[in-house]
Amino acid sequence: MTRTIVLALVLALVGFAAGNWYAKPRAPAQEADAARVAASYEGGFRADGESAAAVSERLASGNITAVAGAPGEHEIVVADGESIQEAVKRAAPGTVIRVRPGTYHETVYIDKDAIRLVGVIEQGRRPVLDGHGKLNDAVLYSGNGIVVENFTITKYKGNGIMGQAGNNFEIRNNLIIDTGVYGIFPQLGKNGIVEHNVLSGIEDAAIYIGMSDNIHVAHNVVFENVAGIEIENSRHAIVENNYVYDNTGGILAFITPGLPIKTTSDVIVRNNFVVRNNHPNFGAPGSIVAGIPAGTGILVMAADEVVIEDNIISDHKTAGILIVDHANAANLTIDPESDPNPDRVAVLDNVMYRNGYDTIPEVKALMLAGMQRGEPDIVRVGPSTGSCILNRSRYVTVGLDDFGVCGFGNTDATVTYLLPPVPPRVIEPGERGKIAYLGICSGCHIYGGRMVGPPVQAIQALYMDDPQALADYIANPVRKRDDYPEMPPQNYLDPETRLAVAKYMLEVRN
Amino acid sequence: MWRLFSLLILGGALVAPAGFAADAARGGTLYAPCAACHGAQAQGNPALQAPVLAGQDAGYLARQLRHFRAGIRGAADGDTAGATMRAQLAPLPDDAAIDDVAAWLASLPAPRAAAVEGAVLRTGSNYYQSKCGACHGARAEGNPALFAPRLAGLDADYLARQYRNFAAGLRGTEPADRYGRQMRLMATALPGEAELRDVLGFIAAQSQQE
Repeated sequence: MTRTIVLALVLALVGFAAGNWYAKPRAPAQEADAARVAASYEGGFRADGESAAAVSERLASGNITAVAGAPGEHEIVVADGESIQEAVKRAAPGTVIRVRPGTYHETVYIDKDAIRLVGVIEQGRRPVLDGHGKLNDAVLYSGNGIVVENFTITKYKGNGIMGQAGNNFEIRNNLIIDTGVYGIFPQLGKNGIVEHNVLSGIEDAAIYIGMSDNIHVAHNVVFENVAGIEIENSRHAIVENNYVYDNTGGILAFITPGLPIKTTSDVIVRNNFVVRNNHPNFGAPGSIVAGIPAGTGILVMAADEVVIEDNIISDHKTAGILIVDHANAANLTIDPESDPNPDRVAVLDNVMYRNGYDTIPEVKALMLAGMQRGEPDIVRVGPSTGSCILNRSRYVTVGLDDFGVCGFGNTDATVTYLLPPVPPRVIEPGERGKIAYLGICSGCHIYGGRMVGPPVQAIQALYMDDPQALADYIANPVRKRDDYPEMPPQNYLDPETRLAVAKYMLEVRN
Repeated sequence: MWRLFSLLILGGALVAPAGFAADAARGGTLYAPCAACHGAQAQGNPALQAPVLAGQDAGYLARQLRHFRAGIRGAADGDTAGATMRAQLAPLPDDAAIDDVAAWLASLPAPRAAAVEGAVLRTGSNYYQSKCGACHGARAEGNPALFAPRLAGLDADYLARQYRNFAAGLRGTEPADRYGRQMRLMATALPGEAELRDVLGFIAAQSQQE
């Protein structure tokens, strides 16, 4: 009797799967025609008052390779044994601070504009910023037109280099090793370059572009981190010519739900080596980053208009490219103000091999339901509209039946999204708390979920109507949760700002 | 000199509770009448709406007992189980008795909760970690530093009833109950009944993994 029921169930399931398979629209024509492939992708960014022709010229010219403005005439030299922070205090905007080789144990906080912090490299010796496992951040900046280059940064607990609402930044040629939660983390910045850096051993994202616009991430080597390069709640970014290997997930374009800026779109990922990102996930259990399946080359989660072109993507056990919506992602919850679906994703020509050879159960189940065999290069889970792929027959794909053929074959028309130096972010009187919340707190706290620190919603419940108590905690945190990283003191902010941000944090509603 | 004196007072205050350490053995004796509802091993009895007490944080238990005594908990219209508990406080006449019984209960091993039928554990995990885990711990083990009780091992009916009591204002409204008011602010954080069930399933699963 039982056997009959089981048999009936199996038959019903097989019938269901087969019905699904036959009922689905068959994949469209395999190859795009020549004219369509010759067309080039052009991102959607347009500055105020710019004509369409001017946009095209700006995107294609590629003559913007620096954004911080010309160096000023002032110069300060810092020698081994001296303090970089003291030099920053003395420096007028426009100063170049040259730091000679040596070891510096300090946090450098730059809260003025147009400071170039430049390491002097002599016979291969660089200045080393060493946090000794005690300090939280190596370099924090809130100014505009900041340059940080030629440093070695190691053994900090929080960030290697973090930008807090500074525009026109250049972060270049740094070695950032075994240091904390984020390696290079420009937050809430517009018009910035992250290039020629080497990053390894970061617990969350090695390069984390957070809530930013017009960003260029190029020529970096990123290995043995949880997330290699992450474009999160950001727009108009190009990630190119990077070597990304041995991370848990290689390159990620993401919307994190619960952040105050709600979209990610127009991200070009091209000409990268994305190889064997199978590192066991060592993110804090329960955190969003801990939900990245080991063995993911490129992850697109809820981000729109992500264009993936001319990458070499190989040796990933889960998938070469994983495209997923919020509902099917691990360790996060839906944000009613964010579109949860990755729409208009374009997979152009890529070289992909040896991916999906030991994939996760969710993908296996999808393949079983679709009666598919093989090891998947590209996996799509959840809704995605307007997405496309070229030459799909080259790859093993799962869930891509409704992807059309792309109307463009390359991104050559978009050389850069960088702009001439843009004005600093306008901060209205009374907005100090809000800007500090967006530029600093949002790096680790989202409204209704667990990023690095506890959710803002829980913090609101704990502190209720007592912002002063929260402001005091921000200045001098005490660890209360074994399974969360320690909160770094934010005592470089003045007491008024701390109280303002505490008040803002207790009032936000998403 | 004045500072030294303050330090002595402060030091004395910190040491003082150790001088009045709760007597868990006496607590075990005091517990006897409670077993009628909460069970001999304090394992709870869902049929009587009596929660698990074994393995719960002593500070949390003592605080709740004082709240029942003071009418901060169990006095609201509609909290029938709470009202039942309020009527049964005679065996614990004073603070010492409360502290002793709480210490004894905390020393008992927490039982395993029954699995929740139909719960989607993956969704439950997502919502638990997003909404609950920051205070109650990643495995629902509780966190005394935040005055958040253990949830793992408590039966799902009790947890659901308390969650709804918080949401409905039957619990966590009294000014003196700061931690209860904190919880009340989170008792609308889950989007619906399905997610609540999933979270309860996740919590139950934590007690089975220990």
